[in-house]
Amino acid sequence: MYAMMALGLTLVYGLLRILHVAQATVFTLGAYTGLLVANHVHSLAAAFAAAALVAGALGPVIYRLVYQPILDRPPFVALVASIGVLIAMEDGFRLAFGPYGLSFAQNPWFTTTLGFAEVSLNLAQIWIVVAAVVLLSAFALFAARTRAGVAWRATVSDPPIAESFGVSVARVRYLAFFIASVLAGIAGVLVGLLNNLVEPGMGGVIAYKGLAIIVLGGLGNVPGTLLASLLLGVVESYGTVFLDKLLDRDAIAYLFLIAVLMVRPHGLLGKGA
Amino acid sequence: MSFRMSSSLVLAAALGAALAAPAQAQSIRIGFHAPLTGFAASDGKSAQNGAELAVEQINARGGINGRKLELVIYDDQARPDQAVPLANKYVGEGLKIVISGSYSGPTRAAAGVFQGAKIPYISAYAIHPDITRAGNFVFRTSFMGEVQGRAAPKLIGEILKKKKVTLLTLNNDFGQALAAGFKEVAGKFGVQIASEYTYAMGDRQFGSIVASVKKDEPEVLYVSGYFFNGGPLVAQLRAGGVTAPIVGTEGFDTHNFISIAKDAAEGVMITTSLDRDTKLPEMRAFIDDYEKKFNAGADMVAASTHTAVNVAAAAMRKAGADDPAKLRDAIAATRDLPVATGRITFNAAGEVYKAAQIQVIKGAKFRYFATIDDPVLLAPPSK
Amino acid sequence: MDYYLSVATFAALNVILALGLNLISGFCGQVSLGHAAFYGLGAYAAALLSVAGAPFPIAILAGVLVAGSAGIVVGFAALRVREDFLAIVTMGVGFLFLGAVRKNPWVGAEMGISKIPSPLDKVGYAALAIGAALALVALSVHVRRSWMGRAFGAVAQDEDAARTIGIDVAGYKIAAFFLGTAAAGLAGGIYAHMTQLIVPDAFNFIQSITVLAMVVVGGIGSTWGVVAGAVLLTLMPELFRFINDYKLLVYGALLLAVMRFSPEGIAGLLRRWLRLRLA
Repeated sequence: MYAMMALGLTLVYGLLRILHVAQATVFTLGAYTGLLVANHVHSLAAAFAAAALVAGALGPVIYRLVYQPILDRPPFVALVASIGVLIAMEDGFRLAFGPYGLSFAQNPWFTTTLGFAEVSLNLAQIWIVVAAVVLLSAFALFAARTRAGVAWRATVSDPPIAESFGVSVARVRYLAFFIASVLAGIAGVLVGLLNNLVEPGMGGVIAYKGLAIIVLGGLGNVPGTLLASLLLGVVESYGTVFLDKLLDRDAIAYLFLIAVLMVRPHGLLGKGA
Repeated sequence: MSFRMSSSLVLAAALGAALAAPAQAQSIRIGFHAPLTGFAASDGKSAQNGAELAVEQINARGGINGRKLELVIYDDQARPDQAVPLANKYVGEGLKIVISGSYSGPTRAAAGVFQGAKIPYISAYAIHPDITRAGNFVFRTSFMGEVQGRAAPKLIGEILKKKKVTLLTLNNDFGQALAAGFKEVAGKFGVQIASEYTYAMGDRQFGSIVASVKKDEPEVLYVSGYFFNGGPLVAQLRAGGVTAPIVGTEGFDTHNFISIAKDAAEGVMITTSLDRDTKLPEMRAFIDDYEKKFNAGADMVAASTHTAVNVAAAAMRKAGADDPAKLRDAIAATRDLPVATGRITFNAAGEVYKAAQIQVIKGAKFRYFATIDDPVLLAPPSK
Repeated sequence: MDYYLSVATFAALNVILALGLNLISGFCGQVSLGHAAFYGLGAYAAALLSVAGAPFPIAILAGVLVAGSAGIVVGFAALRVREDFLAIVTMGVGFLFLGAVRKNPWVGAEMGISKIPSPLDKVGYAALAIGAALALVALSVHVRRSWMGRAFGAVAQDEDAARTIGIDVAGYKIAAFFLGTAAAGLAGGIYAHMTQLIVPDAFNFIQSITVLAMVVVGGIGSTWGVVAGAVLLTLMPELFRFINDYKLLVYGALLLAVMRFSPEGIAGLLRRWLRLRLA
């Protein structure tokens, strides 16, 4: 789950060196869209499709309206602008959908469980893992094999040279935002199903942790990001067992992050800047 | 934000005030602040609903001694640095009584201002003990965490006749206070605390807690929390195969809890002050009118603000609406006043005594289960 | 009257916070997303001492020193990481502080610290806060013009170049952190005594962002701009009561608009306007 958000963030960062906090907005919008569609049409497939589309549409729009005009400014400008979008949209969601949060009318994934050994997982959790694996592998294939994927990688490494090879940098950027947003939107619906609750503020925590993950993995580095998200999940789960009396879950995650960065200032797999 | 803009704002405000003036000569204005925006907006909304419903009902019945009641509502975003200027604003505007529909931080900060200005201040649902210690002009109409926590062991020990309990405690002031109250009297009812696990406000996944509970095999679970963490928690417990009865608190007393947890909510009991099957006219009227007006089930936050407005109104009927000192005395003298949350009486510290209602969820609705009316057990601290 | 006093006091506290952050991020170019943690450290340290019976000035001093020392530690961390990494590390510091406080009963855990004695009255706090704010303005202006300020500027512009001309980059970074966080600690101490109850929520990430917004909207690096930004953002909720419900929407949109159209904030706008006038 973290991985999906993180991948999207890495995509954007790799291209543009922007910490795309507003990814949370896309996430939440996807969740609301999915819920509304699911409750009206009673089809989860439709819900996912709708969420992916709506989210995928919003992402590039954010890029065009917010980031593109300020690409040449110092990085904190984009960060603050992104935070501005997040705050505004969170309130927008609250105004549009009410502050209480909405639930799915029928949520078979929430209630159906399968038992493996001692652990019981509900369907939502299983699907999340499945989805993450599928989507991330798809992305890996995409990056390695397809023309668009190669173009993307070229643009990450060296935009001017990529341009000279005929790669449309602008197109690549829109594509990156689109993919990142679709991932976020789907993740949103999944989390909504997982907790049976879609609230205006649900994107926030995940976005901030997502940022922490991409930093941990070495900014812009896809395998590093994946490793980092796994590692963070593990650290959080075990950390809370041992350190519960001293620190809460977020603190443990960030403590780990800070510790790693002190030892490896460019992230786990990052290369020197 | 140029000077031109701010001066036209002032002009607009002045015009607005001038136009509104004639109507105010008749109505009684009481202050009401709540977190209408920001992270606490869901409670702010409930708080506002409860208060507005109370005002509507009171005015429909002829108001207070012939005058209409009017709320002066401000948003404090649950932040002390907004609540304090607001408090000063209320005082400056000459309001004689103010109600807090907000959280502990802002309420305590504002309480200092009102106590200093000798204006009665009623905290509807903020639970920090320090609030009423600000002085004799500050009152609280909701259960303190510790007090409510004491009701559950009696329910579990005497009524359910069970012994072994596991506590699942939300790691915030509310949860910790409930747990403290529970532990204080558990022994008296033969209840043993087998284990306790805590979780954070933002948690929605409780895999390790479910696993631990299954290992401990308690007879009953006591869960403190709000609907947005309690809902998923209860659902995951049931999905994980935990069949022990679950007792929650007023944090679950909202229909949102049932929509999230769905079938898992069946059979969950809660300690609260609302009884959906009540025959008490005030409670009945509150529950029914709320449903009609807002198209949603009532919750405890709304019930608390509704109660606070009614306490203020009752005091004003007795002592008139003009003298804050007399108002304070009238509030302090409140005995067995019938309100949406039962019959309430204030003690010397401004804390309330009322019976605890035990509700159970049957058929996706809250139903009556039991009442715990024990003035000794549920006595709030007197200093 | 009291109303204006309390608004003014909070505005002054925000000015102190913003100027402190400006020292770190504006003057010395070290991004910090965890400023609220130092505000909180100052508040908690001062509160604990006061509750234990220490006199007011000692409590305040303690707040300043505790926050400042923590700032030095973070400053060392800042030596290891740059830019975006630093931003995330400082964000992490904020969450770490909150998490530690929430869990530990000796700092009040979730209940916070209450019954903090309040030795001054409203006028007293206003005077203290405003006085401190003015002092900090003076300090900022002085630092800017001094050798230290130039060194800060060099570090902000290009660390490596600064190092080659012999500037003790490490020393200056740490100094910046110390000054900025000590200021936050001062604000925290005053805040704790004013409100008499402090809870962890008051020092969360949103608070850090709010202070950052003040600096950024005012004009990062510009002392007067930051003061204007702090005052403006403090007054906003009060001035805009009529858009009550849309407050955050407007706030977020404002941040966005400023970043989009005038990243140097109000100071930048003013500078451009002046330049046009004088051209």
